[in-house]
Amino acid sequence: MTGRSPMRDFAIAAALTLIIATGALLAARQNALRDEQLGLATNAISLFEARQPLPTDVHITIVQTARGHADFAPRRTIPAEGNRQLGGRADAPLLDKLFYDAAGTTLRTGPYAQLLDDESGRAVATTRLSGTNEVAIALTPVGRVANFPWLQLLGALTLGGLLAAAGALLPLPARAAMLGAGIAVIAMPVLVSQQWSAAAAIGGFAAAMALLHGFGITTRWSAAMQTHRVAYRFVAPAGLAMLVLVVVPFAIGIGLGFFDHSHGTWHFVGIDNFVSILSGGGHPLSDPLNFWFILGVTVLWTAVNVFLAVGVGVGLALILSQRWMGGKKVYRMLLILPWAIPNYITALIWKGMFAGEYGAINSLLHALGLDRVSWFASWSTAFFANVATNTWLGFPFMMVVAIGALQSIPSDLYEAAAVDGASPWQRFVHITLPHLRPALGPAIALGSIWTFNMFSVIYLVSDGAPGGSTNILVTDAYRWAFERGEHYGMAAAYATLIFALLMLWTFVRGRVLRREEAV
Amino acid sequence: MNVKHCMLGVMLIIMSMVAACSEHGLVLWHAYSGDERTALEQSVARYNQRHPEAPLLAVAVPYAGMADKLASAIPHGNGPDIFIYPHDRLGDWVSAGTIEPIEFWLDDSVLQRFEPAALAAMVDRGSLWALPVAVKTAAMFYRKDHFATPPRSLAELQMQTASASPRGEYPLGYVNADLYGHAPFLHAFGGRALDDHDQLAIDSAAAVHAAQFARELVTNRTVPQNLDGPGMASLFNNGKVYAVFSGPWFVADITPGLAWGIAPMPTIDVEGKATPLQPYLGADALVMSSRAHNKAAAYAAMAELTDDDSAILRAKTARQIVPNKRAYLDPDVARDTVLAVFQAQLAHALPMPKSPTMRMIWTPYKTALAEILAGSVEPAKALRSVEHEIAGYVAHDQAGATP
Repeated sequence: MTGRSPMRDFAIAAALTLIIATGALLAARQNALRDEQLGLATNAISLFEARQPLPTDVHITIVQTARGHADFAPRRTIPAEGNRQLGGRADAPLLDKLFYDAAGTTLRTGPYAQLLDDESGRAVATTRLSGTNEVAIALTPVGRVANFPWLQLLGALTLGGLLAAAGALLPLPARAAMLGAGIAVIAMPVLVSQQWSAAAAIGGFAAAMALLHGFGITTRWSAAMQTHRVAYRFVAPAGLAMLVLVVVPFAIGIGLGFFDHSHGTWHFVGIDNFVSILSGGGHPLSDPLNFWFILGVTVLWTAVNVFLAVGVGVGLALILSQRWMGGKKVYRMLLILPWAIPNYITALIWKGMFAGEYGAINSLLHALGLDRVSWFASWSTAFFANVATNTWLGFPFMMVVAIGALQSIPSDLYEAAAVDGASPWQRFVHITLPHLRPALGPAIALGSIWTFNMFSVIYLVSDGAPGGSTNILVTDAYRWAFERGEHYGMAAAYATLIFALLMLWTFVRGRVLRREEAV
Repeated sequence: MNVKHCMLGVMLIIMSMVAACSEHGLVLWHAYSGDERTALEQSVARYNQRHPEAPLLAVAVPYAGMADKLASAIPHGNGPDIFIYPHDRLGDWVSAGTIEPIEFWLDDSVLQRFEPAALAAMVDRGSLWALPVAVKTAAMFYRKDHFATPPRSLAELQMQTASASPRGEYPLGYVNADLYGHAPFLHAFGGRALDDHDQLAIDSAAAVHAAQFARELVTNRTVPQNLDGPGMASLFNNGKVYAVFSGPWFVADITPGLAWGIAPMPTIDVEGKATPLQPYLGADALVMSSRAHNKAAAYAAMAELTDDDSAILRAKTARQIVPNKRAYLDPDVARDTVLAVFQAQLAHALPMPKSPTMRMIWTPYKTALAEILAGSVEPAKALRSVEHEIAGYVAHDQAGATP
């Protein structure tokens, strides 16, 4: 067993390391080609400007621009080829298009050099001839990437294997050190190609593997896999689904929070997004764009909604569980309807009811001789409109939970209390409420998490009005992603913070509940 | 087993078709459905009959997420050769190098095919990036029980206010708390959301005048406050508003049997001069991927899919407002009043800005307009605040763009 385990760990680590090394070496070859070709093209332009002989394999073309049939479609020609016109017809040579576009870009934004994205490996560099509308364009020949260093990689792998095998003959901790060294050796071709970050990643991975092996953790994992292999086989499909559908998106979501997206490209920005959010982004605390303002609104929104949903839900449940009540089933079904209708439809209906001139609520106020209200013109009325909609959506769930809990209370408790002369209020406080708590606790926890992230009501009813002051965290995250320049990184950072806040809330609530139960 | 075999066979056929087209032909992505899709597919079928050696495969992609799919597929050499998408994304794609400039191939016949405003919507940073397929702008729908002839000026519309107000009715309705609805007034006063260099131009004297004007339309009971699209349709159908400003999609919202007409937007009085209202012009752009496999063939397909015959087909089948001038000479198309009015409105429509900054403007501007219309804030203060807010996003954007 001692002899086998370092080689098993080496095989697993080497497979993963080879993937990193192969990716890094492929990138290194592309970078080398780009540097070489760009150097060739820019050097040719420098030589051309200095009127010195050009390298034989780089061709320079001069393109002249004149007014064309539209501002955006100037006429371009090659003077050296008898003023041959570039383009102007669908079957024009594609190389002409390269010259045409290169001249246009240079005249608009200045000289540039870049590798063509047609996978030919060619590079282009340009310069504008001073005082003219002429542009000189250097085009390199087709470039080929260097051969992939298979032999170097194979050699490193063999050497690594030998080191790990030699280590297998030694006791700990030398065995673990040799295993780590064996894995780290695979980074050598990567180091030679100057791919520092990939080499560092492999080094870190090797050290982690050596530690895991040294502490016997990999052996324990392996033994557990062997012992419970049937169970693992059963769990594997669900585990795989969880990995793909939950773990990977979650990890990517957290990772994205450390990047910024701008015009289709991503840049690593470290914790800048989190700093920007938590520092309020330069907005004062009273500004609806400040994170802490939005957090305050979100907490208030959650608290008010949960309080009202529980209050209305429990109240209705108490009424529906009275013996004298007839037609309970009908009422129960009607009261569950708001829950059964998709929440975005309900939100749109309420939005219509709160509409300015002809909304149902304003029409009712008008009929009663009261002034119409501009519901979304002030914070309090817009917040009220959101809360009213969400309470309508939220109370049926609390009511159903409460009805279930009420039915489980033994009636002899009430009879005994009545015999003892307890008032209805005393019976409610000392019998009903304590029996409701075990059922309502988890319902309140769930309700608060749902309400904290209730995107559709805020987005569809007030849409943040007025001035974004009724936004909650999740709608502000959406705005960062889709309305403020596609800053997906900021949105991901928001999502991470929302997750952290809800986890903290769940943790604190759990602790408080446990303490209460202990008392 | 038979079902399995059938499914496998169908999958193989589809895969081989896609593979064959991606190897030898062209792939077009679009998000059209219903009649628009039918019309496009008929144009594609006609193209394929003429070019059997390089067929065009039209793939319908859900609109939601299509922009993200394009942005992630094209840089890796995947995705379509050409695609149809609203033109206001062109600025993003130009910045990211996702799309190909096409003025190189342009000849006079293609250039003169389109309305200038529609073609202008395809231009960014001095290059042409697409050919217009269809345009969308707003015009005036009116109820014939209130207007025997369409009002030519806002003053004519407002002549109905005295009789409408006591009944709780209004001569005009438009989505006034939204920049798209407010834009005709903003442009008529000479204001813009972004200037010609895509710099913020929200906090301007012209924009303040336009906002004040919009507020006055509410206070003098010409227009109800804070209308939204569905609300506007409902009020128009119920006779609570007599005319509305909206786009071609509004036709579907009108109650069948209602006597209605359509006309270009009226003029308003700006400094004593009758000035036409100028709505935004949005256009469906046929764009070439910068990684198209055969760019010359892709351009040829673009030119053919936007030719006059295809445009007439789309105008007749899907009632698209096509940007081709000659399409309106077709007798059937010319008889369609809705198409003719929208085509006439193009003369007074401004292309919606293509800059990514524009997408940051909609929500804050909407919020400010709602507050201005409610009278809770002065227009100058509200617009200054909007410009300040968006400038912050732009600064964040530029900071992010610098690695």
